[in-house]
Amino acid sequence: MQVSRRKFSLGCGALTLSFLVQSEFKLLTPENAKAQNIPFQNLTQDQALLIDILGDAIVPGANAAGLSHFIDHQLSANDKDNLLILRYLRVNPPFNDFYLSALTACETAIEKRYNKKITDLSEAELSEFIPLIMQNNPEGWLNAPPAAFFYFVLRSDAIDVTYGTRAGFDTLDIPYMAHIEPPRNLGIKS
Amino acid sequence: MKPSHEKVDILIIGSGAAGSLMAAKLSKTGKNVILLEAGPERGLNDLVSSQIQARRLKWSGDPVEETGSQPIGNVFNSGYGTGGSALHHYAVWPRLHEEDFKVKTLYGRALDWPINYDDLRPYYDKIQEEVGISGDHTTEVWRPKGMPYPLPPVPAFQQSEVIAQGFRKLGKTISPLPLALNSRDYNGRPGCLWDGWCDAGCPTKALANPLARYLPEAIKQGCKIIHHATVTRILTDKSGKKAIGALYHNKDGMKITQRASMVILAANAIQNPTLLLNSAEGGLANSSGLLGSYIMNHAAALVYGLFTPETEPYMGATGGQMLNQDSYDNKDKRKAGFGSYQWMIAQAIKPNDLLGFGGSNPGLYGKKLTEFMTDAAQHFGTMTGCVEDLPLEENRVTLSTNKNKYGMASAKVHHTSHKDSYALWQGAKQEGLEIFKAAEARQAWNGPLGPMHIMGGTVMGDRAKNSITNSYGQCHDIDNLFIAGAGLFPTSGGVNPTFTVHAVTLRSADYITQNWSSIT
Repeated sequence: MQVSRRKFSLGCGALTLSFLVQSEFKLLTPENAKAQNIPFQNLTQDQALLIDILGDAIVPGANAAGLSHFIDHQLSANDKDNLLILRYLRVNPPFNDFYLSALTACETAIEKRYNKKITDLSEAELSEFIPLIMQNNPEGWLNAPPAAFFYFVLRSDAIDVTYGTRAGFDTLDIPYMAHIEPPRNLGIKS
Repeated sequence: MKPSHEKVDILIIGSGAAGSLMAAKLSKTGKNVILLEAGPERGLNDLVSSQIQARRLKWSGDPVEETGSQPIGNVFNSGYGTGGSALHHYAVWPRLHEEDFKVKTLYGRALDWPINYDDLRPYYDKIQEEVGISGDHTTEVWRPKGMPYPLPPVPAFQQSEVIAQGFRKLGKTISPLPLALNSRDYNGRPGCLWDGWCDAGCPTKALANPLARYLPEAIKQGCKIIHHATVTRILTDKSGKKAIGALYHNKDGMKITQRASMVILAANAIQNPTLLLNSAEGGLANSSGLLGSYIMNHAAALVYGLFTPETEPYMGATGGQMLNQDSYDNKDKRKAGFGSYQWMIAQAIKPNDLLGFGGSNPGLYGKKLTEFMTDAAQHFGTMTGCVEDLPLEENRVTLSTNKNKYGMASAKVHHTSHKDSYALWQGAKQEGLEIFKAAEARQAWNGPLGPMHIMGGTVMGDRAKNSITNSYGQCHDIDNLFIAGAGLFPTSGGVNPTFTVHAVTLRSADYITQNWSSIT
C-alpha cells in the first residue's frame, strides 16, 4: 500500500495517550492530562511530585510537559507496547518495580541528607542532590537500581516528553517533517 | 490432539531481511512457501514518525539474558513483527572486503569464510540492481570490485560538509555513503525526502525494508505469512537427520504442527541457535558443539561535536551521508588493536532517544542542558565508527533457566569483546576526536561503547567439526535444514551486515532452487 508522503497536519507528532477521565477513556497528551489533574493509576501523589520536581530540575520543561503522567500511563501499558526508554536498557518489563523502588530510595535519600521532602528542598539543595545521584548511591539509597542508572532513565524519559514531540521540536526550532503522524491512540484499548 | 497443517514445500521462520528474500525467491519458483513470524503484523501505516513510538518495532519476544563486559543490546538491535530487524534498519549497505573472508588465512586468527569475495560478488551486484543502492563507486576508493551503483549518491547536507573538512585536512578520503535508500524514484519506489525517520521505519518505501521490497513480492507469488506464530521446536524424523517441519503456537496459544519438505531458519542471530538448542538434547545440528558460539557485535565508536556553522543535523538519513574506510584493509596496520572499521559520517539526528543529541552528553542537566539542546539543534555533528568484533568461541548463546509460557527455554547471551577489538574501538574513538578537532568543532566528545549488529552464533564453514552450516547455510548435520541471516557470518568485518545478508541469502536461494530434488 502506498502511503501519502509527508502529511503535515495540526497535532502531528503529538504524544497522545488514552487516559481515564470520569469513567471514560479520553485521548490526551501528558501535558493535557497534567493540566486536567487526571488521577494517577500507579504512582502516589508524592511519587508523582518527586518525578516532576526531580525530572524538571534535570530537564527543564518536563513537569509542564506531563512527565509524571507519561510515566504513570506507561507503567500500565502492556509489555510489547511500552514506550519507556527502559526497554532498551536491559531491564525486562514490567517496569513498576524499577520505578517504584527507585522513587522510594530517592525519597529516603533526600530525607536522610536534608531531613526534608523533595517539595521542601531549595533550588540549591536540589542542585547539589542531582550530581550526587549521577555518581553514586547516596546514603539511604537502598533496595533499588543504582542511582546513576535511575538518573539516566529519568533524564531520558524527561527528554522524550519535553523534546520528542512536535511541540518539543518547535521549541528547538527544528522541523518535525513527519511521514505519518502518530496514531491517536498508542494501541492502548479504551 | 494438536492440529497439523497440510505439508508445504518450504517453511521459513522469521520475516526479516533473509526470510523475506528467501520467501520471494523460492515462491517465484512455484514452491509452496509458509512464513512464520513470532511478532505482530505490521504495515507501512504502522511506521509512525516518532522516536518514542518506534520502540514498538524493537524486540519484545522472550526476554534475552545478557552477560559479559560488552552486552549485545538485544532489544535495541533486534526487531519483532513483520520485517524483523530490517524494518528499522538504517540501510547502510557497503560490501565486505576481500580480506574479511580470509582473516585466518591472512593473519592466523579468527575464522575464514568457506567462500571468497568473488563467490559473493555477483550476488551483491544482482541485489543492488534489484533493490537500488545510492552511491558513487568512483569516489568510494576502498570498495571491492563490483558493478557501479544503480542510483546517484545521496545528497550532502550541511552537517557532512562541516565534518568533511576535518577528514580533508588530515589527508583522509571521503565518499558518499552507500545507502539502500532511493536518491530518486527507482523501480516503482519513490525517492527519499531526507527527513531522518529511518529508525522509526520508512513508510514511503524509499528505504529498502522488507515491507518495501521483497515481502510484497513473496505474498503476491502465493507465500502465506502467519503472525504471532511462536516456534518452539524444529521437528525431525526418527533418525534426526531430516527436518520434517516445526511446532508452533498460534496467537490463541494453540499448538500446531507445520510439516514441510524443507525448513529455513531465518529468525535472528540469537533466536536461531536458541530454537535449535531447544529442539534436541544438546541442540539440533550441533555435532560440532559450536551451536551458539562466535556471537559478534560491532562496537559503535560514537563521536559528537558542536560546530560554529549551522549543520542542519535533522536533515538526511539516519545512517549518515558520507563514508570513510581508510582504516579498513590491512587489518594488522591499525595504530591500536586489530581489525577494520569505517566511519559513517553525519547521521540525521533527533533530539530524543538513545541516539538523539539529548542523550549524547548525559552529564548535562538543568539550565546547561536547555542551552545545549538549543545549541545542538542547529550546530550538532556526529559520526559513528562501525568497528570489527573478532569472533570468540566463548561469546555464545546458551539456554537460560527461564522458560516462556510454552515451556521453551529463552536465550542467554554472553559477549565480551576480544581485547584487540576493544583496543581498535578505543583507537577509532580517539581518531574521531582528532577528525572533529580538525573540522574545528567547538567541542568534541565520545559516547560509550554502543553495541550494534548482532552476528554469528550459527557460523558457516567448510567442515562439520568447525561450523554449523556450509556456505549456503545448509546445516552440515541435516541436509534439508537451512539457516539464513547474519548468524552465518564467521567474521563481522567493519561494515553494516544487511547487504551481505541479502547477497548470502540470494546465493543460498539459487542453490536451493538448483538442487531441490537432491536436498529434499
